[in-house]
Amino acid sequence: MNSEKKFLTSFDKSYSANIFFKKPDKYREIENHSRSNKNIITIGSNYSYAPMGFDKNSLAIDLSSFNRIIDFNLDKKEITVEAGLKIYDFLKFTLKYNLWLPQIPGYPFITLGGIVATNSHGKSCGTHGTIRKSIKKIQLFHKINGWLDLSENENKEIFDLTIGGFGLTGTIVAITFKLTELESGIFETHTEEVKSFEDCYKKISDDKNEKTFTYSWNRADSIKNFGTGFIYKNKLNSNNKTNGYLREIKQKKISSFLPLSLWNSLSVNIANNIYYKIQKMKKNKLNEDLIQVIFPYIGRESYFKLFGSKGFIESQILVSSKNMRMFMDEFLNIFKKHSPVITLFSLKNMSGEHNYLRFEENSVCVSFDFTNTKKNMEFMSLVDKLCVKYKAIPSIIKDSRLDKKTVSDCYIYYQDFKNKLKNYDNKRVYQSAISNKLDL
Amino acid sequence: MKYLIIGASSGLGRELAYEYAKNKHDLVLVSRDLRDLAAIKSDLEKKSEIKVEIIELDLSSESEIEKNLFVERFFNEIDGILFPIGMMFDDDKIELDQEKIKKLFKSNFTSIAFIISKFLRSLSLKQGGIVGFGSISAYLGRNLNPYYSASKRALESHFESLGFLSKKTGLKIQFYVLGYVDTNLAFGKKLKLPKGSPKKLAKIVHKNRNSKFQKIFFPRWWGLVAMILNIVPIKILFFMDKIFK
Repeated sequence: MNSEKKFLTSFDKSYSANIFFKKPDKYREIENHSRSNKNIITIGSNYSYAPMGFDKNSLAIDLSSFNRIIDFNLDKKEITVEAGLKIYDFLKFTLKYNLWLPQIPGYPFITLGGIVATNSHGKSCGTHGTIRKSIKKIQLFHKINGWLDLSENENKEIFDLTIGGFGLTGTIVAITFKLTELESGIFETHTEEVKSFEDCYKKISDDKNEKTFTYSWNRADSIKNFGTGFIYKNKLNSNNKTNGYLREIKQKKISSFLPLSLWNSLSVNIANNIYYKIQKMKKNKLNEDLIQVIFPYIGRESYFKLFGSKGFIESQILVSSKNMRMFMDEFLNIFKKHSPVITLFSLKNMSGEHNYLRFEENSVCVSFDFTNTKKNMEFMSLVDKLCVKYKAIPSIIKDSRLDKKTVSDCYIYYQDFKNKLKNYDNKRVYQSAISNKLDL
Repeated sequence: MKYLIIGASSGLGRELAYEYAKNKHDLVLVSRDLRDLAAIKSDLEKKSEIKVEIIELDLSSESEIEKNLFVERFFNEIDGILFPIGMMFDDDKIELDQEKIKKLFKSNFTSIAFIISKFLRSLSLKQGGIVGFGSISAYLGRNLNPYYSASKRALESHFESLGFLSKKTGLKIQFYVLGYVDTNLAFGKKLKLPKGSPKKLAKIVHKNRNSKFQKIFFPRWWGLVAMILNIVPIKILFFMDKIFK
């Protein structure tokens, strides 16, 4: 069967290349296509900010035809699905039984294989941790090692390398998840104003053990109002039971034809002022449905389009409570000197155990988006140094800008991951643009 | 109603299975790939309240067809048969070896005729349906895939004959002549004309399932191409081919 050639761009627009890809729709085609090229990588919906699912020298295997439910056990609350199934279609099925995965990322058209390969987390990562906690079993195909069943009891080392392993251990074909009960499809959202970064950080940290999805929106458009904003707490409204209903949503193309970014210090300031005023006027307690809470970018795709053809960079950094104050003091000093254009700034709790290249730890996650300009890049290279200094962990899947040195300095298990991967696959068949950049 | 879909593990066959399941028909799915059929069965049964049976079958073996398909239960239960199958070889040229030629004709024509002949009586009694899928390539001899196109031409002729029978028996016969359809057979090929959606085709096939006799081109405008190919003398077509090359 022929391969198709396509020009692909990563979601953050940092990397583009002409890619050859194949789209198997039979199991034996996964085997045949994988054997047809020296280097391969599996591509999902291509919503990863960084180019995790393709590279100019790798054949991309598109698993979108593998989108079926293989098994479902209501008593055990377990489901086995193929990796090409999208979160939205998955939830449409599981919500009929009031079940779901709380660790899903913020866009519904991402594939389940993608969320395993990136060890995704959602808004409730302070309470529920990352998707790793819900994975029971993985079925993997590797060009040389063949079909492998992975779990805590079977091929455990490969299982651990695969979750958050960026698809470098092979093609994730099917996954068995342990589902969580969802008491209600309606969330009660409480909004609380915060006056400064310290105020916000304290409130977020204090909320760590609560069963709410807590995150913030903070201003970062000037040093004067840095950190002011709102904390949102989404709590399940147990008076409104779920009825298996998931509102219809359509997948929109998120591409921009704008030659330049419309986000600059003036427009960010105006947008923040408007948003701030709207939030102030809103009731501080309102009901929201699952889609509004879990998929915040639905209906707000224009936010990404406004970055134009040069795209944007998102940085997510896990900072321990021990180092947060010092990290932020120095961050603000750099911020004062460089005045970067930060379009979005947010905090949320994170829980979990850090290992290999997984973005996971008991700490607070600081997220910010910025425009792709020289000035901002200089600012971010100084932030990278702060990460190394304060043992903070920057997210590889979000920030395509990160270099090998920063990653190997911040991820203490970097070399361990690399060695074990090489030991498992000494030809290093599965390669993406990011794995090449990070020398994995 | 229960339908038998031969070649249901991928492409158009898979789309037909989902469309018929969506409309609450029980299914018997047949293909060479049991793993793929098992995944489709599981998915369909979880999402729709229908019964799905799966059969692993190599259509080039008559004994396997007889053993697995020609059973009393199926003659009684099946209300219609769909044949969304089409075997192709990359090296299908005029000098193709004997075995491959036989295989192509068996998969694309004789096995279908064989199955139909056995089910004809039971389907006629219940005024059931038979749906075949041909190819626009059958309308003109060619350099590439000559045996594929010849087998599809035989199939089309066979369905036209069945069409005559439908007038006497109440059988519902439909034949779809396919242009480019967006399945794996067309994936990665540099085609000069747009591909039709297999999902859309599956909907059309289901909608037409009770029609008496129909021959439909998909996408529709391929009908015009077929008409031109039929009208224009072959010498002119050869001349045009020379010029465009």
